[in-house]
Amino acid sequence: MKWSVGIKIGFGFTLGIVAMAIIGISSYFSLNSLINATKLLNHIYYVTNEVTAAFSELQDMEIGERGFLLTGEDSYLEPYTNSKNKIEASLKTLRQLTLALPVQQQRIAVLTGKIDEKLRSLNGAIVLRKEKDFESARQFFLSSKGKEIMDQIRVLIGEIKTEENDLLLQRSSQVDASAKYAKDLIVWGILLAALLLSLTGVMISRNITKPLNVLSAMASRAASGDLSMNISPDGRSDEIGVLTQAFLRMIESLRSIIAGITDGVAMLGSSASEILAATTQVASGTAENASAISETTSTVEEVRQATQLSSQKAKNVSDSAQRLEQVSRSGQKAVEETRIGMSQIRAQMDSIAQTIVRLSEQGQSIGGIVASVTDIADQSNLLAVNAAIEAARAGEQGKAFAVVAQEIKILAEQSKQATTQVRTILNDVQKVASAAVMATEQGSKAVEAGVKQSAQAGEAIRVLAESSTEAAQAAMQIVASSQQQVVGMNQIGVAMENVNQAGVQTAVSMKQAETAAKDLHELGQKLKGMVEQFKV
Amino acid sequence: MKEDQMSQKTDAILKERSRALAKEQDRTVVDRSFIEITEFRLAAETYGIESLFVREVYQLKDFTPLPGVPSFVLGIVNVRGQILSVVDLKKIFNLPDKGLGELNKVIILHNDRMEFGVLADAVLGTRPVALDAIQAPPVTVTGIGAEYLKGITGERTVILDAKKILEDEKIIVNEQVA
Repeated sequence: MKWSVGIKIGFGFTLGIVAMAIIGISSYFSLNSLINATKLLNHIYYVTNEVTAAFSELQDMEIGERGFLLTGEDSYLEPYTNSKNKIEASLKTLRQLTLALPVQQQRIAVLTGKIDEKLRSLNGAIVLRKEKDFESARQFFLSSKGKEIMDQIRVLIGEIKTEENDLLLQRSSQVDASAKYAKDLIVWGILLAALLLSLTGVMISRNITKPLNVLSAMASRAASGDLSMNISPDGRSDEIGVLTQAFLRMIESLRSIIAGITDGVAMLGSSASEILAATTQVASGTAENASAISETTSTVEEVRQATQLSSQKAKNVSDSAQRLEQVSRSGQKAVEETRIGMSQIRAQMDSIAQTIVRLSEQGQSIGGIVASVTDIADQSNLLAVNAAIEAARAGEQGKAFAVVAQEIKILAEQSKQATTQVRTILNDVQKVASAAVMATEQGSKAVEAGVKQSAQAGEAIRVLAESSTEAAQAAMQIVASSQQQVVGMNQIGVAMENVNQAGVQTAVSMKQAETAAKDLHELGQKLKGMVEQFKV
Repeated sequence: MKEDQMSQKTDAILKERSRALAKEQDRTVVDRSFIEITEFRLAAETYGIESLFVREVYQLKDFTPLPGVPSFVLGIVNVRGQILSVVDLKKIFNLPDKGLGELNKVIILHNDRMEFGVLADAVLGTRPVALDAIQAPPVTVTGIGAEYLKGITGERTVILDAKKILEDEKIIVNEQVA
């Protein structure tokens, strides 16, 4: 069954054509042979007629001769002369007609000879009649064997006729047989061909119609929207198989398309809902926008007024900054003087420190003197003690000396105490001097720091002056820019008005968009209903 | 009111005290037998020694420590050409050492047999002491040096018995160093 439908149909038609050709050709040949046989029959009839005609012409000649003989009138010779040519023509025709039959040729040659003999006798009689008289002609006629020759001719013609009749019989049976054969051939051949063709037709139609019916049923199901059929392809590779597969592919693609459309419709529905919600929101948002824009417009007006105010303030600031600049310049001068004063103080402090150091050194030398005085007092004391001891040893005589020694000792004690006090004072002085040295050092450090700080202050005031200059410039710029701001704020006011108008237009557009989204939503619902008719 | 009373009371007390202080002390000297002592300081204590046995008081300078002698022998000093040994009583009485310096003095004791110096932290001076004012040394002082004590005065001055110190054989150092 690997043939395609075209080949199958072609095969069926070819079978029919072949059957028709066979039948036709065989009929043709049968008819041809029948026609040939009929022609031969005609030939036979022709030959027979021709023989009969030749004999009648001969008889006519005989009759003409006899008339002439009897009358001597030349007018009676007219059939004779006419028939004489005709006989020759007939004989010639006969010879030609019987070329295929040597027996008949022989017979015709004999007949021709006999006819010539007859004609000579006739001619002789006629010549005698003409030249002599009736009697001589009658004599001649009687002497000639005219009747015998005629009989022989009759026999010959009878033979020829019999031969031809036999042939006729034979040929007619042949014609009958061939006609019967042709009839049978046509009848049976047509029957057989009809049977074969109907069988082939049934087979082809079954082979083609059945799957086509299945396909058409499926197609009608698909047309009614049922795409849930599932047919396995039967593995045919012909047009039907291709059609089936194409149909299956079509169903498959229809399914995927319907699925896609379903999804798309669902998405369309949800999107339309979202768009509807969004447009509703946007519509309400546009209304809010409108109120916000009007608020913004009033805010812009406020800002404009505030900017004017700030412009005035900036002008004031600029004036203040210029004053501050002057003040800081004078402050810088003052700081410079302070720095010079601090330097002088530092020099003073240095000299104070040197003085105190000298004082301290002198105190130390005083300490050395005090130490030597202390030593002297100590030794005096010792001397006093030794003197007292000596006085004690001297007894009563030493009493007065003991008193002197005691006084010396007291003096020594006093001078020792004095030196102790001096030393204490000196220590205090030295401590104070050290403290003073420390203090002066700290003071010079402080002065140093003060110098530094005054320098820093000068620097700071200088920076302050610069800053105030910059501030003045900045304030000037602020004045300019705030005037520009006022202009810009006016422009913004105009722009806000435009925005407000645009917002109103947007609100109208959003209403339209909302309506359109509603229509879109309904369209989505409709599409959904339509798609749901499909069974996938 | 109370504050006034208080201030009046305080004034009264202060006046009484000033009156008491303004009184002169009794200078009535009773004729009693005295000994002349030379007072000196060893550590925180005040010692006295009879001036009869004191040759002189000398400043401690340029002393030379001696090897191979007991610890109470400080060394020797040159007193105007005379070489004298110096004894440190603080070692004998187990008194805390204060260290030596320029202020240290040497009290040179002598009798007809011996002559040596005694180290003193400071010499206070000489004064007469009544014999009946000298009390017996406290019994609590025992051990080394107890035999050198003569007594103690009311001013808590320990009177040393110079005679015993000078005559004590233990002070004489006569050791042979092998």
